[in-house]
Amino acid sequence: MAKSKQKGNHKSDKKKHIAKTWKTKRRTKDLDQIHSDMKPETAAKLLHQDVDYDVTGCAQHYCLHCARYFVDMRSLKEHFKSKVHKRRLKQLREEPYTQAEAERAAGMGSYIPPKKVEVKTQPIEEDMD
Amino acid sequence: MRIEKCYFCSGPVYPGHGVMFVRNDCKTFRFCKSKCHRNFKKKRNPRKTRWTKAFRKASGKELTVDNSLEFEKRRNIPVKYNRELWDKTVEAMKKVEEIKRKRQARFIMNRLKKGKQLEKEEAINEVKKNIHLIKAPHAGKAKQMEDKMVQKLQEDVDMGDEDI
Repeated sequence: MAKSKQKGNHKSDKKKHIAKTWKTKRRTKDLDQIHSDMKPETAAKLLHQDVDYDVTGCAQHYCLHCARYFVDMRSLKEHFKSKVHKRRLKQLREEPYTQAEAERAAGMGSYIPPKKVEVKTQPIEEDMD
Repeated sequence: MRIEKCYFCSGPVYPGHGVMFVRNDCKTFRFCKSKCHRNFKKKRNPRKTRWTKAFRKASGKELTVDNSLEFEKRRNIPVKYNRELWDKTVEAMKKVEEIKRKRQARFIMNRLKKGKQLEKEEAINEVKKNIHLIKAPHAGKAKQMEDKMVQKLQEDVDMGDEDI
């Protein structure tokens, strides 16, 4: 693993309580969950959600790969161009890690290297005004 | 009861040890120690974490494909107790383990041979590049001069022959 280029953790407010972000209460989706989300049926369901006033942007602008809601189309498009999104796509290009793989790595059967998966940013839908 | 394998590091999880995490989609994850659990919570990828078995296998550090690895497996079939079978199995397990160990050790030794070869090549290259540091500046120059003289004399003689 390459060394992270993260620096300046002391003054940044965002990273003041890192341990809190790891609590089960605030758990975000894992990569294998996103892989199952990417199946066409579930993807279609997630991208066309009913209006929900409790969710950011009424759940109308969702990034499938980062599992995030956005306020409007503009910020969603902006997000697609961002480093966070591109990094996430890169992580998703490998098959998700499973318990079966852990067992194979432990010597229960031969180890099969992970396959590549093609992942692309979801197509942008231009809304009718 | 069975000895499970850790999700993160692939180590054994004995009954009564470690932690099990149940995600909100009912998928279970077992961890052998808090280190593994913590790393999972931080969403680290076991394939990219250098100390896990998954990393070592994925990056070709250890033997991955071999027949000796095919014995230990999750078999969801109950076997009726039979003393003879039990004895034989235990004997076989010892033998399989021994063979497996030997093969894995041999694989690692073979892998390390490549580095030695590269080291040697590098050393030869370095000497070739910096040969002027070892060699005396006028080494072999006297011999060269002599050769040149002989050549010149020969040429002179030839020229003289032509004149006559």
